[in-house]
Amino acid sequence: MSLTRPARCLFCSFSRTATPGTRVPRRQFHPTPAPLTNRKPKFPNVKSPENSTRSALKADDFKSYTEEEKAHLAKEYSAAQMEAIKAGEASIDPKDLSEQSIRRTDPYRFKYLDDFSVIEPGIDRNVRAPESNSDYNFKLKSEDQFIEDFGRFFAESNEDIKPADFVRFAESLRLTEGKEENELNPHSALVPDLFGPGETIDEPRVEERKSAAEKGEKERSLEAEELTDALKSLLLATGYTERQVRELRTKTLVSHSVVNQTRLGKVRRAYRLSVAGNGNGLLGIGEGKSEEAADAKIQSQYRAIRNMQPVPRYENRTIFGDVTGKVGAVELQLMHRPPGFGLRTQHLIYEMCRAAGIHDLAARVNRSRNKMNTVKAAYEALMSQRDPEEVARARGKKIVDVRKVYYAGKV
Amino acid sequence: MSLVNLAHARLSLTSIPNSNLHLKLCNALQNSGYISSVVRGGPTPPPAHPILGYPAANDEVEGIEPVTLDNVASRRLWLGLKYWRNESVLGKVKMVSKPTRRVTIDVEGLRRVVRGEDSGYVGGLRSPGESLFLSTDRGILEARECVEKKLGGLVLCRVL
Repeated sequence: MSLTRPARCLFCSFSRTATPGTRVPRRQFHPTPAPLTNRKPKFPNVKSPENSTRSALKADDFKSYTEEEKAHLAKEYSAAQMEAIKAGEASIDPKDLSEQSIRRTDPYRFKYLDDFSVIEPGIDRNVRAPESNSDYNFKLKSEDQFIEDFGRFFAESNEDIKPADFVRFAESLRLTEGKEENELNPHSALVPDLFGPGETIDEPRVEERKSAAEKGEKERSLEAEELTDALKSLLLATGYTERQVRELRTKTLVSHSVVNQTRLGKVRRAYRLSVAGNGNGLLGIGEGKSEEAADAKIQSQYRAIRNMQPVPRYENRTIFGDVTGKVGAVELQLMHRPPGFGLRTQHLIYEMCRAAGIHDLAARVNRSRNKMNTVKAAYEALMSQRDPEEVARARGKKIVDVRKVYYAGKV
Repeated sequence: MSLVNLAHARLSLTSIPNSNLHLKLCNALQNSGYISSVVRGGPTPPPAHPILGYPAANDEVEGIEPVTLDNVASRRLWLGLKYWRNESVLGKVKMVSKPTRRVTIDVEGLRRVVRGEDSGYVGGLRSPGESLFLSTDRGILEARECVEKKLGGLVLCRVL
């Protein structure tokens, strides 16, 4: 123990903490001091009667109506209602009122008067059509049934059919067969709108919303005009929508310039190699060459999207067996790995796996590591996987996935 | 093994020199489903089975010429090769033991190999449909059979 202790500690020896022996009621098994028995609480305890939310109302505060007040009430209410008021006044004891009526004064009281007897839709609870309204076996009416409906309408109505009658008929005409509620008031899991159709808090909002909607339409029409020919033909060829194409994972992996030597001189062009995938088993690579780098990129991406092919994946995370690929001097091996291993590969193969939705893989690139040929060789390797089902059928042997058996098919 | 080149050449029937090792290995390959038939015949291919379309060792109609002292030198093994979906079933055969370096493996090592791990000079079986053939004292067997029977032995070849 050091002799140069601060003076504070010297004074501490006179305080209570310095004499622990007397205040420790039982044996201590650890160096932490036992809780002090006669310690003062840090904060004063709040007892419930002090924190009462009840207002201090007395029986005297509830007085019966004076003659003057009664005269005022009589102007508003009928004689029978006045009788009822009088009976009510007589039946309730002011003493009970003072004891049972609660007027809260705490900071969490409601700032408005409400007895909470009514459920407010949108505030308390979303009011939806009951689930029993749904009919999963509904069918759209056929043309013959519509003709029947019309025939019935004309047969049942009188000679002179007014336009109003026809409108009423058309509005009440059902388009589907099955439960009527399913068509008129279907159940929906979605949260209902706070306002009904055409209902708003105030007017300007409607206009704002309208203008916003118009703007959106304009933008959309502009976008539609902006669709390039290349994108249009891509959409046509692949059957994807523009949004689906935008959601695909595309990545430009290789970019350099290439030169064509002509008798007029060197013609430089930009070269791009892109991969595209949906992150769920589809992968394609595409090359693009153009005088403009941006053009080449777009070209390569669209070609990659067109070239997308399914990549076999084991358990949707890794590959079937170890595969090799060779393009030019690039020789590479892709090796399957257990769950949670990750993608321990170089960046090009990593991006390809990301696009294809492969999560566990190791790779080794031997000999040359040319970027373009690495991507091509990796694609070749991924596509050269052998399907165990095919192997089993080719050899006439039964092949069982032991992992699947062990985990009862839950992998 | 020249069998790989034969498969590349899209042959359906071929012959290899007759020896006891060849016969046993070919029977093991047939049991594993890599080749369709193994028949010991003469210099000309044996007649095809009327139903199967390729020569069969248990053909009762044509019969198999018995091996005698006179004709044993001219015997060859006639193998039927298999193809599935325009690809040869026998993809790649690679020798593991060579006359200059014999590779043997015990059961412990074989267990690791079957699980896909390397063991000594023998790499793991890491692809679907890959198999390893060993010469054991109970004949030529596949690696998984050896593990089942707790046998080690001389590693002959790896077939993919």
